[in-house]
Amino acid sequence: MTTQTPGAAERDVNKDFPLELDEPRFSVKEPKIRYDMQGDLTDEERVATAMRNFVKDFGRTAAVYMESCIHCGMCAEACHFHEVTKDPKYTPIWKLEPFKQAYKREYGPFALFFRAFNLKAKVTHEQLAEWQHLLYDSCTVCGRCSLMCPMGIDIATLISQARHGMFHAGLVPHELYAVAERAKREGSPLGATPQVFEDRIDWLADDHEIEIPLDKDKAEVLCTMSSIEIMKYPDSVVATAKVMNHLGVDWTFRTDGYEATNFGLLSGNAAWQKQMTLKLIEAAVACGAKTLILPECGHAYMALRWMGAAMYGKPLPFRVLHMAEFLAENVREKRLKLKPVHKTVTFHDPCQVSRRGGAIEAPREVLKALGVELREMTPTKGTNWCCGGGGGVVAIHRADALRHKVFQIKMKQIEDTGAELPVTSCANCRQTFDDGQAHFKWDTTMHSLLELVADNLIEDEA
Amino acid sequence: MSTPTLGDYLRTRGVSRREFLKFCTTAASLMALPPSMVPRVAEALENARRPSVIWLPFQECTGCTESITRAHGATIESMIFEAISLDYQHTLQAAAGDAAEHAREKAMKDNWGKYLLVVDGSIPTANAGYGTIAGVSHLDMLKEAADGCAAVVAVGSCAAFGGIPQANPNPTGAVSVSDVVKDKPIINISGCPPIPVVITGVLMQYLTFGQVPELDALGRPKAFFGQNIHDRCYRRPFYERGQFAESFDDEGARQGWCLFKLGCKGPVTYNACATAKWNNGTSFPIEAGHGCIGCSEPRFWDKNGFYQPLSTGNWGSGKTLAAAAGAGVALGAASAALGRKRQKDVEAKQS
Amino acid sequence: MTLLDFARGPALQWSIAIFVLGILWRLVGVFFLRTKKDLSAPRNPAAWKGLRLIALRSWPRKEFLEGTAFGEVMGYTFHLGFLVALFFYVPHLLFFESLFEGIIGTDFAGIFGFSWPAAPTGVITFLSAISIAALVAVLIHRITNPVKRLISNFDDYLSWLLTIAPLATGMLAYAHAGGIRYETLLGMHILSAEALLVWFPFGKLIHAFTIFAARGSTGMIFERRGASL
Repeated sequence: MTTQTPGAAERDVNKDFPLELDEPRFSVKEPKIRYDMQGDLTDEERVATAMRNFVKDFGRTAAVYMESCIHCGMCAEACHFHEVTKDPKYTPIWKLEPFKQAYKREYGPFALFFRAFNLKAKVTHEQLAEWQHLLYDSCTVCGRCSLMCPMGIDIATLISQARHGMFHAGLVPHELYAVAERAKREGSPLGATPQVFEDRIDWLADDHEIEIPLDKDKAEVLCTMSSIEIMKYPDSVVATAKVMNHLGVDWTFRTDGYEATNFGLLSGNAAWQKQMTLKLIEAAVACGAKTLILPECGHAYMALRWMGAAMYGKPLPFRVLHMAEFLAENVREKRLKLKPVHKTVTFHDPCQVSRRGGAIEAPREVLKALGVELREMTPTKGTNWCCGGGGGVVAIHRADALRHKVFQIKMKQIEDTGAELPVTSCANCRQTFDDGQAHFKWDTTMHSLLELVADNLIEDEA
Repeated sequence: MSTPTLGDYLRTRGVSRREFLKFCTTAASLMALPPSMVPRVAEALENARRPSVIWLPFQECTGCTESITRAHGATIESMIFEAISLDYQHTLQAAAGDAAEHAREKAMKDNWGKYLLVVDGSIPTANAGYGTIAGVSHLDMLKEAADGCAAVVAVGSCAAFGGIPQANPNPTGAVSVSDVVKDKPIINISGCPPIPVVITGVLMQYLTFGQVPELDALGRPKAFFGQNIHDRCYRRPFYERGQFAESFDDEGARQGWCLFKLGCKGPVTYNACATAKWNNGTSFPIEAGHGCIGCSEPRFWDKNGFYQPLSTGNWGSGKTLAAAAGAGVALGAASAALGRKRQKDVEAKQS
Repeated sequence: MTLLDFARGPALQWSIAIFVLGILWRLVGVFFLRTKKDLSAPRNPAAWKGLRLIALRSWPRKEFLEGTAFGEVMGYTFHLGFLVALFFYVPHLLFFESLFEGIIGTDFAGIFGFSWPAAPTGVITFLSAISIAALVAVLIHRITNPVKRLISNFDDYLSWLLTIAPLATGMLAYAHAGGIRYETLLGMHILSAEALLVWFPFGKLIHAFTIFAARGSTGMIFERRGASL
């Protein structure tokens, strides 16, 4: 049952979409009334807008993909949502069905005929509303489907593009819309406004007796955080400072560019995505940083490392590294001094960093340097299973049951390795694990690679 | 005056009963009749009153007559043929001019409704003057003669289908017998020319049973035209194995390999060449090293060339394909431009 | 004009022309759409190496094999059988040679130094039979498998029909089946191939061409990022 979001003028975001920050999973509180429709468009307008905006961002590559699907259905074999339900509607390419119709009608080589003779049915509003669940609740944009497709279609990227259409049509799920709007309005999806960030830095620096530079005019390295870490895993903020200071890096946080998550990307608002990305870029430029380090977050890496330059309109004037890559680089250059950790460890690959992002080996180099006994899951690295919480899914309450089903795959994977310590390098994966652990009363807790490193630094005696 | 029977005639020519029965056996087996039918064939032939046969030659080359009358010594075929009361035949008759026409008219009158009409050559329709006999157009003569006949035997591909005169551009408007005669049984004995024994076999069948034999979709006797050359060709194993002569004097040709690549039309040609063969079973074109040209089929002259393999269809030309390609590219570029414009419009609306 | 004459004459000309026109329209229509240069700093600058995905994606990763092996094996069986029967059966081969010669000017052997090899008819018959069997298996799978049943549409079923028709009619013609006139069977066979040609540019069969572009694009984009291929 989808109802319309109260208009922006009448809306008190804190009252209408209060945050829930005391559960294992940080999100908007479960809504009594779901507002899964935004804006005051008519149903027909919603459909038309969705279709047009989907193809607006199309280019040749996406068109080739749309022309290439042979309906083999093999993508379903790769998708964790299909795996745990065997429900054919979770077939990845099926999630794009209305948009395939849109492509053929609006943009394909025979578009004129498709429209003139109505060869592809016009998408209905009911269909789109149904598809909201498929595009948002049951897709983490993990990219396993893209890895499977015999035609080489990058289905995951097309899903992100489809979300552009959904956003313009005002068909984003309640919680995701709420946190995205909050992020645009306040600078953070979870209430970590610049003031809150600054306050937290002060408190953490004080509490841990550690120097955490903020708003330096000039720095070699700009560090960024995710709101999940700022609000839920503040130890990661401290860990960042510890590692930077240990390495003697000239670094800073900046209140004009600290939020690495990008809910514009996740919800499907391209304008917000650009705005959120530019904040980081401009902050780095402002302080003359040569390197920008992204925190332990998945989609943050995709948003800036791979999509950032397109937002900026030109190549970025600085290097972008995921924290795991930064640590691995310093391991390689023997700058990071680590105590050995005698534990059996298994690594959960964050999809956007690993399979989609290409930083597969970096975390493993770090784990090797930590001297752990690494026990790889099955499957692992590029083909590892998604935690089920990415792409915004973890924020959506109505998707919880489905997400928990998926989580069972991860639990089994980890248990099968017999490792003591599961480690990952993404705070969203981490909170998904926390939520799953609570739900299933599992006895295993997910850990952060960064925090593991920070906890095992060999500090020189002053 | 009673006309002597065929049996009388053969006896006067010194054919022994033994020889006669041997012939009937061979003929019967050619018609795929069981041995038990031989006495019936013998009886029928022996007592057959030599029927009146009127042979009308139209736009023909006389090749059919030549083929049939090609006698290697005194063969039974040629004798039987001569034994039929051939009341009108330009090549073989003694009479000429008015006398010949009189003979024809009398035979028609005396045997009205009973005579066998044999036709070779196609009938011109574009202009009556293209073909006349004694001032009468072929078309008129055929119509008149057909009126009183018991059946028509269209001998040769020209009479059966229109043949060579009908080939592109068909300047005389040549048509086949069946295009003109609609109300009489017609037996098409196609071939360019037909095999001699096929003609006599058909006549034999008619004389024995008094009926037109079983015909295929093109009106040809199934006994001789029921199978294609390909299925009876002795070189078929080479086709199956993929061994083909590529030119007329290469190793494959010398080894007697299949001639499909050199244009043999055997697979779609129905005739008895591969079994009955020519010149008393001596050989046939494929055996002599040349592909079948399909001469017993309609419009064989206008199908793709004699040396073009059967499967090379008329796909057009490089030019037509280039035109299609050009059109495709143009349409593609146009549709891409349209798509891009729609994108720009949406973007403009939004900004 | 008999059915066979029509099939080997005007129908052939039109169907080939439509095939050429349609394929180019669709491919060019996609090729000239917008592209954006990737401005991100590549992990692996030699993105062209990603083109190896074209070969690589021909078999699934072992992690995905369990649910996909049937489709992959049946798919290859049908494709290989179909392609061998199409290109290496003598009557077909001669047609392509005439096409080749007509367009390029010299014959195949003239350019390549050896003549187009032919397969024995028995091999063709066998491969056609297993090709048909694979196609039937794949149709049954499409109808019974919940995923495929949901996502299948008119295009899938029509393309299937137009693909199996030339194989089936070809075998029927070869066998002179049912006492039907051979010329009719042959005509039907050629017409069914022409129907396939006419439909080809407009349905999913276009994947025969787009597979290279799709795999190639993804390969290069992912190679550049060092992402999993």
